Amino acid sequence: MIKKSKRVRSLVLTLVLLLIAVSLSACGGKDDNTIKIGSKEFTEQLLLGKITVIALEDAGFQVEDKTGVAGSDKVRLALENGDFSMYWEYTGTAWLSQLQHDDPITDPQEAYEKVRDEDANNGLIWLQYAPLNNTYTLMMRRADSEELGIKTISDLAEYINSNPGELRVAIDHEFSIRPDGYPGVQEHYGFSQGEDEIKIMDLGIMYKTLKEEQVDVAMGFATDGRIPAYDLVNLEDDKAFFPVYNAAPVVRSEVLENNPEIEDILQKIAVLLDTEAMMKLNYEVDINEREPEEVAREWLQSEELID
Amino acid sequence: MTRTDNKKIKIGAFLFPLILLALGIGYSFYVVNYPQDKIVSNYVTYSKIFKLLSQHIGLVMASAGAAIVASVPLGIFLTRPKFKRFTNVVVGIVNVGQTVPSLAILALFVSFLGVGFKSGVFALWVYSLLPILNNTLAGILGVDKSILEAAKGMGMTATKILTKIELPIAYPVIMAGIRTAVTINIGTATLAAFIGAGGLGDLIIAGNNINRWQIVILGAVLSALLALLTDYLMSLFEDHLKNI
Repeated sequence: MIKKSKRVRSLVLTLVLLLIAVSLSACGGKDDNTIKIGSKEFTEQLLLGKITVIALEDAGFQVEDKTGVAGSDKVRLALENGDFSMYWEYTGTAWLSQLQHDDPITDPQEAYEKVRDEDANNGLIWLQYAPLNNTYTLMMRRADSEELGIKTISDLAEYINSNPGELRVAIDHEFSIRPDGYPGVQEHYGFSQGEDEIKIMDLGIMYKTLKEEQVDVAMGFATDGRIPAYDLVNLEDDKAFFPVYNAAPVVRSEVLENNPEIEDILQKIAVLLDTEAMMKLNYEVDINEREPEEVAREWLQSEELID
Repeated sequence: MTRTDNKKIKIGAFLFPLILLALGIGYSFYVVNYPQDKIVSNYVTYSKIFKLLSQHIGLVMASAGAAIVASVPLGIFLTRPKFKRFTNVVVGIVNVGQTVPSLAILALFVSFLGVGFKSGVFALWVYSLLPILNNTLAGILGVDKSILEAAKGMGMTATKILTKIELPIAYPVIMAGIRTAVTINIGTATLAAFIGAGGLGDLIIAGNNINRWQIVILGAVLSALLALLTDYLMSLFEDHLKNI
């Protein structure tokens, strides 16, 4: 008899708990004002996404974390059809790949204004951009750069022209084909190489390949944490070839109308994120192997944007 | 076989590869002459297609050739009574190689073998070993014991039994393994493009990264046609050997 009543009681308790759980989740699901934050799948994007998730949660918004989607096109599509309320995009990427223009823009303000104006017609609002410029870069090992006296891409062009066949260069597939990619660099700086000196490979192994001296020059992304970690240097783009890739939050217009306070929060974040700061955050994740979420929270706290 | 039958087969033998070649050349012609935009026309040229195709064939021939040379003798060796006890260990080791994702093999060996051709061939070689080895073992071990007993009873030596009985009977199974390995190899070789070894994967990856479907389809069509054509040529070769 005692056993039975215990069982009944635990059954009732379970049912009540289940009911509470179901009604709670139903409430959450029905809340139309949830801000769905997306990002691409690489470290910097995960960091930007997590920073936004944590900051907005802290400000009391209902947030859904949808970070970590592979492929610029898919992320953009998700924003356009409302699966995302917002994510951080780069001005250069939006201009060249999403809005399909083929003239790269090298001035930050101009690039920002052009994508902002064009995307306003698509119902997407570009907020204040961050100073960080995650542009393409050509990298060398520090020791080589110092020994050969190559600090800028002009130096590199000069060296290659007077020592043909000596330097091996690694680039990825996209860089080999884009209008702002390697053929464009060669033309802009006036040098050329044999096909055997150019190795086309996946971006993921590029930094390691350069570090292990299998190539002498490699393309990379300017804010990557592996650049300081592997003692590599970015060659200065002294004749301004590469377009600018400032990151900016892109928000669906109706989301911003319903939650105008977001703009202020994101602006405070954006102004603090310069190339140096971003490189440090990326370093924490890629080299020290820490969780993006933890690094994001720590940064927000150190900048006193959250408690 | 009557004369007319023979003729039919010969026409078929020419027709099928010709259709595949025509499709490949036709699509290449279409992309080169009617590119969807400036980026495609700058990137895709006949010399580029030819270079990537020959890189691809080079990767497949080197790795599949080395896999045949390694696996078939190894399979024969492991079916000899003295060495049968090693079979499970060796197949186990080869199997482990097969279970590691191909991209991981590529990435792992880049540090040792460098970027480019060598790493690509090595990874593809590892990948082709198992199907050939397994089929060689299955083919030879599948030979009816009573036939072997009879041969022994007739006083045939072990070598004679191998060359006159075991291998001819196992031959179709071994060839099936080789054909499977080579066909899969042609598809997998597109991944070699990730480590600087070139090949048709360059087209697929570059096209996908920059979202130009013409380039992606060109890479996919050419590698599919190459696989079909190779499989077909191998089947002809197999029949030819059988008839000798």
